[in-house]
Amino acid sequence: MSFLSHFLMWFCQWCDDSFFGAGVRNSVWLFPFIEILHLIGLGVLGGTILILNMRLLGFRFRAEPVSELAKDVQPWMRGSLALMLVSGFFLFSSESVKMYGNPGFRVKMVALLLAIIFTFTLHRRATISDLDDRTQVWPKLAAVISLALWSTVGLAGRAIGYVGR
Amino acid sequence: MSSHVVSFLQWLHNTGFSAWLRDSMWAEPIIETIHVLTLTLFFGFAVLLDLRLLGVALRSRRVSEVLNQLNPWLIAGFLVLIASGTLLFCGDPVAFYSTIFFKIKMVLLLVAGLNVLVFSSTIARKLDEWDLDSRTPAGAKIAAIVSLVFWVAIIAAGRAIAYALPPP
Repeated sequence: MSFLSHFLMWFCQWCDDSFFGAGVRNSVWLFPFIEILHLIGLGVLGGTILILNMRLLGFRFRAEPVSELAKDVQPWMRGSLALMLVSGFFLFSSESVKMYGNPGFRVKMVALLLAIIFTFTLHRRATISDLDDRTQVWPKLAAVISLALWSTVGLAGRAIGYVGR
Repeated sequence: MSSHVVSFLQWLHNTGFSAWLRDSMWAEPIIETIHVLTLTLFFGFAVLLDLRLLGVALRSRRVSEVLNQLNPWLIAGFLVLIASGTLLFCGDPVAFYSTIFFKIKMVLLLVAGLNVLVFSSTIARKLDEWDLDSRTPAGAKIAAIVSLVFWVAIIAAGRAIAYALPPP
């Protein structure tokens, strides 16, 4: 455990000292600009995850199989996730040592890791399998877990600004 | 005109409700969190609808089906955004009004709303004729692009308000 915290602290220090970390920190416009990209990514990612989970729960687009909708929205989900990860990394790098000790940030990172792993393994299997959702519990359970994990990421992200004052 | 607005906002600022929103430890964080997270629902679904209108995503689905499936959630999300946004404004009306970004955001919202009105009273009326087309008519594409550009600008202006307000 102590090795992990040493490594994470070293990584945060390295980001903080890097040219991009300092660049974002010292610029008036870069942080707000990247944050707006992060928000736009959030909208698209949240929308695609919500619509897929609503379909798994049987609320929306019931007429077609889950896999059809998944095929349509997955490129947008992956693209917006990539935008969020890249923009989020640069926001983080501008104040990474401060983030290291922020409880909101820690919760967000753990939830994010779990959410990404879940989305690309079990959740993905639920969206491509086209089980008859009226009789199967698993697709609905996958939707609930996905919503819970991603909500935790969002709420903890929102909390970063409030708990670190 | 402008002085009437300012005196009204001053009155609003002095109400107990406004003071409560301002001084409560939890009101602002909770309302702001609701505002930002509802944005994922509203903006995300608006993007999906716009991508269908552009003929880029959800192409195998009827436009009318996409509209019917998304509209109830878009309307609900919009109402939550308006309500939570109004509450945030009420907590510090004079300061909000004094930022240029707030005024810009209101004008952008008006144009985005007009875009919906124009879309639904023109090209959407003839939806039967292009409902199944994966290549949508120019009018639908213009409405989608206007919507995407203005919503992105509204998000940017909204974020800018928070930067322009004096720190708490």
